[in-house]
Formats: sequence, C-alpha cells, structure tokens
Amino acid sequence: MKLHRIWGLTLRYLYLFKHSLDRLSDAFFWPTVDIVLWGMTSSFFAKNLEGGGNTLILGLLGGIILWIFPWRSQYEIAVNLLEDLWNRNLVNIFASPVKFGEWVTTLLLLGVGKALISFIYASFLIYFLYSANILSVGLVLVPWAVLLIMFGWVFGLLVAGIIMRYGTKIQTLAWTSIYIVAPFAAIYYPVSSLPSWAQNIAHFVPASYVFEAMRAAVDGTPLPLANLLWPTFLCLVYFVIAIAMIYRSFNHILKRGLISVD
Amino acid sequence: MAILEVKDLKKTFGKNPVIKGLNFSMAEGEILGILGPNGAGKTTTLQMLLGILTPTSGTINVFDKDISTHKSDILEHMNFSSTYTDLPWRITVAENLIWTSWLYNIPDRKQRLKKIKTIFRLDKIWSQSFGSLSAGQRTRVNLARSMVNFPKILLLDEPTASLDPEVAAYMREFFSDQRTKFNTSIILTSHNMAEVEELCDRVLILKEGSIIGNDTPSNLAKKIEFSHLRLRVTKNATELDKLISLRKLESSIDDHNYTITIKEKLLPLILYEITKKNINYSEISIDKPKLEDYFLKIAKGGSSEAP
Repeated sequence: MKLHRIWGLTLRYLYLFKHSLDRLSDAFFWPTVDIVLWGMTSSFFAKNLEGGGNTLILGLLGGIILWIFPWRSQYEIAVNLLEDLWNRNLVNIFASPVKFGEWVTTLLLLGVGKALISFIYASFLIYFLYSANILSVGLVLVPWAVLLIMFGWVFGLLVAGIIMRYGTKIQTLAWTSIYIVAPFAAIYYPVSSLPSWAQNIAHFVPASYVFEAMRAAVDGTPLPLANLLWPTFLCLVYFVIAIAMIYRSFNHILKRGLISVD
Repeated sequence: MAILEVKDLKKTFGKNPVIKGLNFSMAEGEILGILGPNGAGKTTTLQMLLGILTPTSGTINVFDKDISTHKSDILEHMNFSSTYTDLPWRITVAENLIWTSWLYNIPDRKQRLKKIKTIFRLDKIWSQSFGSLSAGQRTRVNLARSMVNFPKILLLDEPTASLDPEVAAYMREFFSDQRTKFNTSIILTSHNMAEVEELCDRVLILKEGSIIGNDTPSNLAKKIEFSHLRLRVTKNATELDKLISLRKLESSIDDHNYTITIKEKLLPLILYEITKKNINYSEISIDKPKLEDYFLKIAKGGSSEAP
C-alpha cells in the first residue's frame, strides 16, 4: 500500500467536495435540518414533562448526531463510487498503479473524515441552539464513534459492491440503504419498545447497542464498556464479509471489463 | 528486445469468443498500430493490456513481468488515453492532473506538471473545469494525463479523434518525438489510416478476434494489387471507353474524369495503349494502394494474404 496513491485518490474526492454544492449541502444542510426539526420537537415535548426534559432533548439530539457516523461513512463510500461511474473515471483509477485495497482504504478514510466534520458541526449546533452538550458523556464517545463508523463502512462496502455489479440503475441504494436498518438501530427509542421480532433483529444490529448506551449515559446510568464487546465482534464479522463481497464484485466486473460498468 | 509479449490471449463473454488466441510482441521504442473493423476486438485487447479486463486464458508479459501478478508495478510505467474514459467533470484541468500525478511515483511533480502544461498547450484552460471544455480540449487533457508519468509504454485509443488538424499533427509529432528521444513504445488504435501509416512501424490487423495481418503499413498496402488511374480526357473518350470494355476494367466516369482501377503490373501497358490510341488528357494521376485500401478490403470481408 503506497501513501502517495491514497493521497492522490483523496485529493480527487476533496477537489470534488470543494466544487460541489450538493456534496457540501449533504455535509451541513441535512444535519442542520434534522437538528432544527427534532430539536424543536423534543423541546416542545420537554416543556410538558416534569424533570427529565433535558434528558429527552439530549437523548433525541444525541441519536441524531451519533447517526451521522454510520450515515456519512456509508454515504461517502457509495456516492464516491457513483461519482466515478458518472464521470467514467473508474478506468483512470484502475488502469493506474492503484491497488484495489488502496482505493477501498481511501473511501473508508474519507468516510471517517466527512463523518467527523459533520459530527463536529452538528455538536456545535446543538450546543448553540439547545445548550445540549454531547461531549458531556465523556471519552466513551470514542468507542461509540468507532463502532458506528465501522457499521457505516459495512453498509457502504455492501452497497458499493452491489452498485459495481449492477450499475447506476440501482444508485438510489447509495442514499437509502442504511435506512433499512435504522428502525432496528433504535436511534430515538429503546430496543425494548420494539416488537419482540424486531428486538431479535436489533440484537444483530451493532448500532443499537451504541444508542442504548448513549441513552443510558444521558440518563446518568452509564452501561459498562464490556457491553460493546458483542457489537464490536458483530461489526468485525460484518466488515470482513463486506470486504470479501466488494472484492468479489470487483473481480466480477474485471471479467466483464471496467469500461462496461455504468 | 520485446518489452511486451502476448501469448495465446483469449477472451470469451458468455459463449461468445471475442478474442481468439492473440500472439504478438512489441519491441522497445516501437510504434504498433492495431486496426480492425468495429467489433474486431481492439478495445478488448487494450483493456486486457491495461489489466482492467481479465482474459479467459493466455498471458501478457510486460517488462518481463506477468500483468496478472505484477499489475501495479507494470502500470507505474504504462499509461493510456482512450475515448471511453473521461476525467471528473466538476474539477479543473489542473486539479485533474494533480490528483492523477499522485497515483504515480513522480519525483519532480511540480516540474513535471509545468512541462505537461506547456507541451499540451493547457495554459488557457488550466483553471477551467473539465466539463466545460470542448471535445478537442478534453482529448488534449486526456493525452496530457496519459503523459504525467512519462510512460515507457503508451496505449492510445483513437488519440486524435476530436482534435483539429493542426493540433492532431502537433500531437503526432509529439508522440513520434517521444519515441525518438525516450524510446517510448506506443500502441495505437485509430480509424485515421493516414495517421497509422505516418506513425506506426508495424500494424496488427484484427478481425473477429484474430490477427489476420501483421506487417509494416507499406507491406500491408502492397497486398492490394490494384492502383487507381485518374484521367481528365480531352479527346477520343470513346476510344478509352472501348479500351476499358476490351480489357474488362473497373471504372467510373464523372463528366470527363475517368477513374480506372488497374492491376499494378498492367499500368504500363494501359498507358501505352492510351498513347497509341491518341487519347488526349489534360490531367493524370496514379494512386498507389494505401493501407486504407487494405483495411477496406478486410472490412468488406475480402480474404487476406497476410501471414
């Protein structure tokens, strides 16, 4: 793996980010909309609650801004692949010394970078608008973020693998796929409020453990870190499967020819 | 010494064999043309040479290394320009050349880009987005991108297709110079036969996935035995009509302009008879067979005398 090639690919996507209003709005506009809408809603409900109002606001807003991690890291992988397909640029990348692993690594790192930018922006926003401080939960945010980013990677890689294989006709998956799992991730409500069949699914969704832990921390009853071992294990297994799948898809399209992918 | 060697290369899509066992090599500093009608397998072959299409069987060795196992090392010293690819549309020409230059291990990156900017006359469009350029300007940027690593092997797929004649001639001169000065080997596909004749040392003719011709452009052209004799007749045209009919020659007439297709060896005899029969003409020209004639014969399904 050569760093200069990863840097070259990173530059390609950063230049695009600089010139694309839609990509900039993805990073800042949607988090702002979510925070304003849900912040106002939770503030309204909080007024009618005796005590615990702030917990409700922070719980909901915490869900929104932590969801940025899987959403952005998934989105960057899938949409950057689409950008290369739309621009017929995939051949330029793979007819150069770039290795497949270097390209995947770049997309994963870009996902982390963009997720962090959106997260920091959103954290400031909820602090200024609602005086809610997500950083008050402490260093436990780090393992949560790592887990959620990995979870986003898994989706990003799976979706990118499918798009590579079947082309841009199913490109809508890049924007929507992760929302399939959102109800089971228990972003805004506890897993226990789901029907039992859905709870069974939630046990296999690593993000649900993070959001449960976040709500517990906001309530002042933090869960032990050991609770994150199982979701970490799940994430690692899913990640290995996702890498194997995208690699398989890449080999599949090499048999058809990269030029034929559209 | 062969810098590239292709052995028994085959590619099948489903049950459709597209490349049926290619064998060829290219020497260092050689310019090799690949010609063939649409669907002959030119682009498929180029894709396999670049490692972006997996062959069904066969081997491709570049710099004595197998591309299936040393792709990254090989592509460090290879590059390409193709009509089938673009660069990201929203970013500028400069940015496109900068990011692509980082994909190669180039020690003097800034200097290199400066040089590329001058060679490919990119000053005026340097800060424009790639998508805002004309087709010809985009081709020029693509050609510039293909030179960022100063490759030892360059694959050019229709390199001058959308360039104006002056720029196309300049580019041909540039690539020819590259070979002379740096011993760069070039594989070229083009539908511009004059370009192929001018640039290529050797031409492979592909048809339906097989090589049916492998020779210098002039030798391939010689396989066509017919020349075209063009005359503007001013007197005794009926005598010429009789002669054409007697010798069963293929001809076309436009006003007083005759185009007669004649076997090369019959030319002196026909010219003698024209003089003998007192057929006067004000203009005369003889078009010797060209690579294009050979190509047209192949494309129309004519048999080939090639090895």
